[in-house]
Amino acid sequence: MGLLALLRKLRASSEQELRILLLGLDNAGKTTLLKHLANEDVTHITPTQGFNIKSVQSSGFKLNVWDIGGQRKIRPYWRNYFENTDVLIYVIDSSDRKRFDETAEELSELLNEEKLDGVPLLVFANKQDLLGAATPSELALGLALQTIKDRGWQIQACCACSGEGVQDGMNWICQTIKKK
Amino acid sequence: MPSKAEDILSGFRVNWMSLREVDTGKLLWQNSDDLSQPDVEHEARVPKSILNCRAVSREINFSSIEPLENFRLEQKVLFKGRALEEWTFDFGFVIPNSTNTWQSIIEAAPESQMMPAQILNGNVTIETKFYDDTLLVSTSLVRLFYV
Repeated sequence: MGLLALLRKLRASSEQELRILLLGLDNAGKTTLLKHLANEDVTHITPTQGFNIKSVQSSGFKLNVWDIGGQRKIRPYWRNYFENTDVLIYVIDSSDRKRFDETAEELSELLNEEKLDGVPLLVFANKQDLLGAATPSELALGLALQTIKDRGWQIQACCACSGEGVQDGMNWICQTIKKK
Repeated sequence: MPSKAEDILSGFRVNWMSLREVDTGKLLWQNSDDLSQPDVEHEARVPKSILNCRAVSREINFSSIEPLENFRLEQKVLFKGRALEEWTFDFGFVIPNSTNTWQSIIEAAPESQMMPAQILNGNVTIETKFYDDTLLVSTSLVRLFYV
């Protein structure tokens, strides 16, 4: 499902403008995921030095997806983009075991942010095609997702390069937004 | 001492712009001249078939050395100087020394009828104005030719 298709499905919901925030450590695959959603070539992606935004508009309804760079020096700026977020997507490189603690820490900080209070969370366990990738249940345990009580959350295995699993995650977003 | 506005202006650059077919992701046009140079009108030669695309994306990549507190953009598609389509976007904060992209996709209403290529040819311009709050940071103008 591309962004246009997602927008068409969401059109029935009451809000006129939706904001999805895409965060995660550098090299997690955020930009690849976003490009995949727009049917674009994902072979030449360089580290994001700021943000990438995709805005989709159809019949007066708008969807904005914000992908903010994940490098350590950029992370302090994430908070500038929290306001009015409808869904938070957090992307993890499931094969980068050395950085599981770091990514868990960043996520827990996000979940404590007042401006992101109650915002539904979708975790993409990305790079499932790579050798040694952690399973979603293993990651959920490490991220203590089961302790989240104040918002809807979901963890979805995916491979942003091939697009496998991405659709399931987008379906969850659709259902979650429509329930609001 | 240069003013803050001058710092912002001198540190801002539009790196490239592109037009893309949404259904296939196919690149129709890309330009990497410095599009933020004022008073220069750029030309885009795009295949006529673009007019049959249900949705076309316009993408802009820009860099800023200075942080911008309240960055926003106004984009208009003009036919003989009259706005056919208008889009505003509020970015809010722009990270210092950052390079950013903004892509907009507008799906044409099914009932809307596209004017023929020979009428549109050379008469359509995409005007993009960048502001930090009320300060006009840059304008870029691209004229479209359908070939």
